[in-house]
Formats: sequence, C-alpha cells, structure tokens
Amino acid sequence: MQILILLVQIAILVGVVLLHVAYATYFERKIIGHMQVRMGPMLVGWHGLLQPIADGIKSFFKEDIIPEQADKPLFLAAPIICLVSMMVSLAVLPFAKGWALADINIGLLFIFAMSSLASYGIILAGWASNSKYTLLGGMRSMAQVISYEISLGLSLVGVMMLSGSLNLTQIVEAQGSSFTGMYIFTQPVAFFVFFVAMLAETNRVPFDLPEAETELVSGYCTEYSGMRYAMFFMAEYIGMFVMASIGVVCFLGGWNGPFNVPFFPPIWFILKVYLIMFVFIWIRATLPRYRYDQLMTIGWKLLIPLALGNIFFTGLVKIVIN
Amino acid sequence: MIVKYKPKRNWLQTIFHTEILQGLALTLSKLFSPPITRQYPKEKPPIYPGFRGQHALVRDPQSGTAKCVACMRCAQICPSRCISIRYHQEEETSRRVMDSFNIEALRCVYCGYCVEVCPVNAITMTDIFEYASYDRESIYFDKEKLLSNWDDFMSSSTYDQSSYVNPFWRPRGLPESELTAAKRVPVPDDWRIENQFIGRKARSKKITGGE
Repeated sequence: MQILILLVQIAILVGVVLLHVAYATYFERKIIGHMQVRMGPMLVGWHGLLQPIADGIKSFFKEDIIPEQADKPLFLAAPIICLVSMMVSLAVLPFAKGWALADINIGLLFIFAMSSLASYGIILAGWASNSKYTLLGGMRSMAQVISYEISLGLSLVGVMMLSGSLNLTQIVEAQGSSFTGMYIFTQPVAFFVFFVAMLAETNRVPFDLPEAETELVSGYCTEYSGMRYAMFFMAEYIGMFVMASIGVVCFLGGWNGPFNVPFFPPIWFILKVYLIMFVFIWIRATLPRYRYDQLMTIGWKLLIPLALGNIFFTGLVKIVIN
Repeated sequence: MIVKYKPKRNWLQTIFHTEILQGLALTLSKLFSPPITRQYPKEKPPIYPGFRGQHALVRDPQSGTAKCVACMRCAQICPSRCISIRYHQEEETSRRVMDSFNIEALRCVYCGYCVEVCPVNAITMTDIFEYASYDRESIYFDKEKLLSNWDDFMSSSTYDQSSYVNPFWRPRGLPESELTAAKRVPVPDDWRIENQFIGRKARSKKITGGE
C-alpha cells in the first residue's frame, strides 16, 4: 500500500516537472524575445501559450534518425541515462516541509552524484554518434563538468558547516524562517561561486561550450533527432530546475516565506526557483559565450581558490564564536 | 579616433562585475519596452512612394487598352533582359502597334529602369508585393495579365485612376526640358530632390528635378 502511494506521488511529481519543463521553454523564449525587443511565440494559442505542447507533439512524431556509423546501443541509451539521472535527483528535493519523496541524510551528495552521472550521458552521446562535433561537445562537457563540480561542491561546504547536515530538509530548517537567517547573507561568496558553477554545470550561457551552436552545430546532440533530442532538452531543463532548487534550499531559505500559504505550502519554494530560473534566462539574453581557456581559467584559478578561502574563513569564524 | 578596447577598472568595479551588471540592467530595461515586431500576415508594412512591386501596364482610360507605343526602350534598358515586346507597323500611318508584351517577373531585379525610361508612362510598378505562387506560369506576365494587374492595383488601393502618379515616372536629376511631355508630372512632395538625402554633395550642387 505504501509503495502504491509512493508510486502515485512519483507519477505526480514527474508529470508536474515535465509540464514545468515544457513551460520553462516557453518562459525562456518569451523573456529572451522581449529582452531582444521581439515578441517570442505568438501564434499557437493565445500569445503562443500552446507552443510547448505543439513542440512536444512535433518532436514525438518526428523520425528518430540513427546514423549508420553510430554505436547503436550506446546511442540509444545516452539520452535515457541523461534524463533518468537528472530526474532521480528530483526525489530528494524538499518542496515544502515533509514534501520530499525521499528525505535521505545525504541529499546534497546524492544530487552531486546524479548531476555528474548525467554528464556520462552527454559524453556517451558525443562518443556514440561518431561525429566530430558531438565528440568535441562531449569532451568539452566532460572537462567543464569535472572542473566546475569541484567548485560547486566546495561552495556548498560552507553551508554544510553552518547547518551541520547534508540533509536538505535540515539545511532549510537550520536557516530558520527569518529573512536574515538565509545563508545568502552569511555565505555571499559561496553563493557567488555556487551560482557561476551552477551555470557551468547546467551548460547554460555564458558557459554553453558543449553545445556552442556557432562552433559545434549543436554539440553533443547534433546527431540526435525527434524524441531523443527532446530528452536531452528535458534533461537540461530538469537540470536547471534541480540546480535552482539547490540554490533555493541552501541559500534562499527553501520553503520559508514572509507568511504561510494554506493548502499549497511549496509556493514560496516555487517562486524562488522561478526567480533563479529568470536570472538564468536573463544572463542568457545578456552575455556572450566565454572562450574555452577563459572558462578553464575562471573555474580553476578563480572559483576554486575563492571556495577554499570561503571554507577556511567560515571555519575560522566558527571556531572564534565557539 | 582612439578605440579603447579595455577601459581601466578599479578594484571595486572588478569585484562587483559592474560591466556585466550594466549589461544586465540594459536587457532588463528592454524587457519592459514594447516589442518592435510587425506581425506580418496580420499587420501589413507601410508602403512608401517609390515602392517597386508587381509590374503593370497602365490601362488608358480613353482607349481601354495599354498606352505602350512599342518604342522598345524598356526592353533595351532592362538589365536582366526580362521584357520582350513584339509589334507590327501599320501600313498607312506607319505607327507601331504593340502585339505582345511579356515580362518574366522571376528574372526581374526590380530596378525600376523600365518605369523611368518609358516616354508615355505606360509601364509602372505597383504597390502590390504579395503575388508569390507555386508555379512559374502565373509569374510570367503577358499583356492581359499586366493590364489586369493594373486593374487589381487600382481596385485594391485608394488612388484615383486619373490622378495616380508613380514617382518613377519623373526621373530625378534631369531638367524639365529633357523630359517628354508625359513625364512632366507633379511628384509627391517627399519624392522631390530637395527632400531627399542622396549623398553629401547632392544638395550643394543643386542637382534638382528642374522646376
């Protein structure tokens, strides 16, 4: 019985997140359109509101082309690895008090593990499609994820030290419900490092080198079409959602808001996630892409020393206070 | 001019990424500005005088047919050689009579020379631009099609048939004495040379349309 309830909960969560992903693309196209003084999608439905559904139907019925020289099993498996590992990390997110599917003690570590696993999907996609663009995209993604995974993890060590836990629910509770209790005020440097590393982890502009369309056609998903391409797309947007959620949980006080909303407690969480997603899109509309050596320089020479210094400083302050 | 590729920043500007913040402020302000998109099939673009659209042969209100005198000037000046005309000469008056007048609009480059050079204002380029088609035959205009293009243009626009003036009927930069009688027509005010910006020295040299 308990398993049945859990399955229903999982189905609801996956359904809601997939719908959210569909409309995140709409949100992104509209905002970038208006920032570029255009209109974005306008024709399907009122102000293009049905556009994501039309896109979904289109990609579902498109032909699934597999290149002749591709490594077929890996080529077919890669988008699934990518999507599944991104979706699995949704399980540990606490949307509100007690609204986590799996409230495990190593939640933060689990999300890191899963987001690194997703890059396996990207590397396999790049290798299995047997094309130079996908291979380059996959290799860039590998190097980028390895470099930024370190600073992402290190930036959250300060949060772990303050809250004394890896459990996401406990991290939120440690911040308390007051505005000033949010870790963005006690850990501003960590938040900066986390934010930049988050952009790089999710392959977003200005760190979208793995799928740099001006150089690599479409990077690792060049040879993909139809539903498998859409799977990569969904994985990217779920990755954005998960990373934004970690940012909200660790720095912006999770589900706590100025006042409690009855019936639907996750409202503050969702609003904060949308705020971070908006900043993602805003940055995409503003910044050009970094060069590859600049990307590596920022990752290794700036973010990692900053994160390490932040850990050292946090520990020092903690010892002095105690 | 000295181009400063990397302006100097102080350490505060470096730490807080003021340049990136300026860029973000610009895009955020543009988010709330009205979009400049023209929703084309619903909103048509404004057509300005001198627009070079679909070709037409002007229907003479008196005779009810084309004004063309088969002088062949348009066929000669056409850079893409897309105009072909056939005529015969009447025995008693030795007047040329145009038999067929074909414009292959797919080859046309829409330069408007044929309109400028026509001594009797017989050919014109209308404001109609939506005549794309799935077959080549319907964009190959013969005499009847060109005359019906004129009728379509007159019925779809607000112009009066007797007072319509295509600005190209009066070539710019020629004194009045060099124009044929039919071409000494009044042109719209913003088409006159004084109100045009064509090069830096155009106005100081007083190259006028000749008033």
